[in-house]
Amino acid sequence: MSVTIIGISHHTAPVVEREKFAVADKDIPSILKKLRDCGQIRETVILSTCNRVEIYLTPVTTPEKAIAVAMETVFPGHDVESQADSPFYILNEPESMEHLFSVATGLDSMVLGETEVFGQLKLAYKSAVEHNTTGAILNKAFQKAFSIAKKLRCNTGIQRGSVSVASVAVELAEKIFDILKKQTVMVIGAGDTSAKTARALAGRGVQNILVSNRTYENALSLAKELNGRAVPFDQWPECFDDVDIVISSTAATEPIIDRSILEPLMQKRDWRPLLLIDIAVPRDIHPEANFVENVFLYNIDDLQTVADSYIEQRKQEISYCKRVIKEKSAELIASRPGAQPRESRQDASAGRLNPGLLEPPAENL
Amino acid sequence: MSWLEDRHLFLIAILAYGLSVVYSVFLWRGGFRRDNWTNYSLLASGFVFHTLAMLSRGMSFARCPTQNLYEATLFIAWSMVIVYLFVGIWPRLRFLGAFASPVLFAMGIFALMPGLDNQAGPIQPNRALTSLHAALVLLACGTFGLSFVTATMYLTQEHDLKADKLRALLSMLPSMERMESLIGRLIAAGFILLTAGIAVGIANLKFTQDTFIKYDSMVLWALIIWTVYLLVILLRGLHARRGRSFALAAMASFAFLFLTFWGFFLLSSIHHP
Repeated sequence: MSVTIIGISHHTAPVVEREKFAVADKDIPSILKKLRDCGQIRETVILSTCNRVEIYLTPVTTPEKAIAVAMETVFPGHDVESQADSPFYILNEPESMEHLFSVATGLDSMVLGETEVFGQLKLAYKSAVEHNTTGAILNKAFQKAFSIAKKLRCNTGIQRGSVSVASVAVELAEKIFDILKKQTVMVIGAGDTSAKTARALAGRGVQNILVSNRTYENALSLAKELNGRAVPFDQWPECFDDVDIVISSTAATEPIIDRSILEPLMQKRDWRPLLLIDIAVPRDIHPEANFVENVFLYNIDDLQTVADSYIEQRKQEISYCKRVIKEKSAELIASRPGAQPRESRQDASAGRLNPGLLEPPAENL
Repeated sequence: MSWLEDRHLFLIAILAYGLSVVYSVFLWRGGFRRDNWTNYSLLASGFVFHTLAMLSRGMSFARCPTQNLYEATLFIAWSMVIVYLFVGIWPRLRFLGAFASPVLFAMGIFALMPGLDNQAGPIQPNRALTSLHAALVLLACGTFGLSFVTATMYLTQEHDLKADKLRALLSMLPSMERMESLIGRLIAAGFILLTAGIAVGIANLKFTQDTFIKYDSMVLWALIIWTVYLLVILLRGLHARRGRSFALAAMASFAFLFLTFWGFFLLSSIHHP
């Protein structure tokens, strides 16, 4: 008994194509039931996210028959083998197990190391368990996948750091302020990136958000979305005393905040730390502001450089993670009842050094 | 175990602190990205030998080991480690060890300098009060020492946040606000201990010499240190000097304390007759 995967993902198809095959959450229970009752599939889990739709299954007889039934049930009218440029892929063991572990770890994600897919995979598995479509093989495979993903995420830098400008800004704020919830954020210029940054801060618990924009209606709209307060553009300096984090992205051609403005303001604010995030081009805040005591200034280049460095660091962890995944998937396959002992399987695949490349048991082929 | 004297035990403790310094260099170069259990364990093992050294000395002389410069330095360093081991229970504050170990190592080497361990010791009319007075003042010094260490960590993080942003983000050091709050708490705790130590000293003087105050270099030193830390606390509270200025004030105050302690101690007729 082995695990087979049929899927379509961001690697094989653009979003316009993927969206045609997306499986709605409400449809999953009925599809699971159909697959369970078809007589060709013993166990199955369906994962449907914005980046992938994958069916994990264990065939009753042969993988080919199970794949045909699954395709007909989930993607009617699409045959993987008849189309040369099919966006679907089929993976058998050991690649299927390695793929499952990679998905759980975030190695197969569009944003390397992202954590959202881990939760989605857990939900997919939970749904399958609730509908009684998993058994010994998939239970063990998914539980192992979750455990390996947790270990790799904890022990490597695969998920370390933020890879977007908004999340880098949040991370910086957490390095300065102990409790973000208590801080007051002011958004000056309600552009797209500043709105994303403000949303990210709100997502981390920030409750006091002031929004100021030349077009007052835009400020009102963003303030409403973030549960904050809109401030007329000519009045934002008056609110500055209470602010801890400033996100600035106006269309001004000259800096609107500089050292001479900040120093008396800092005195008024009792020298509390002030985080300035300048995502405007040309810059809204003069670079010398960073020299003021307890003021921390970051411009768009600073944030982007940090995000790029994080991505680079994550990439450096891939080879190690892949090696661990290969070893662990081989271990899992070898530990199943009826699997050949590891030594004899290694004999059978003489010349192959990596246990991850071992052939699956003959009955699974 | 007559061959294993308190100085040998203290030497082993210094060795552990020295190893911690070496490990701290790697932690520093690595940008404080790894959890810090190894360093914590090294300092904890040093603390065990340090405590054994003080116990051994205390038992062999049948008194609290706070009577001469060697013992006083030992006690201050010991206070710093015990406060660190407590604060270090919180994972991010464990990195204080990397900043504390060089100070502990330097203090240890200083304590072992010849001539500091004058075993004659002062006359002790009331041993319990004298011991309590010395212990409280030296504990206060240890706590101030740890505030110095925390301030160093604060300034490191501040520098990284301004100049080496990626390093700051990758490090596991606590937030600036938390560090500043810790410096404030350590200084407040040290100040309370110092005040209590001075009060016990006054009571001791009254008990033994029937006077509340006596001119002595060490008494003067204690009052200067008390005033300096009172000013640091007031400046933070009243004039709200925060962040960098406060961290620098904490560092300068302890540097002054440590650099002047031995000089005033040697000039004292009460503490070093």
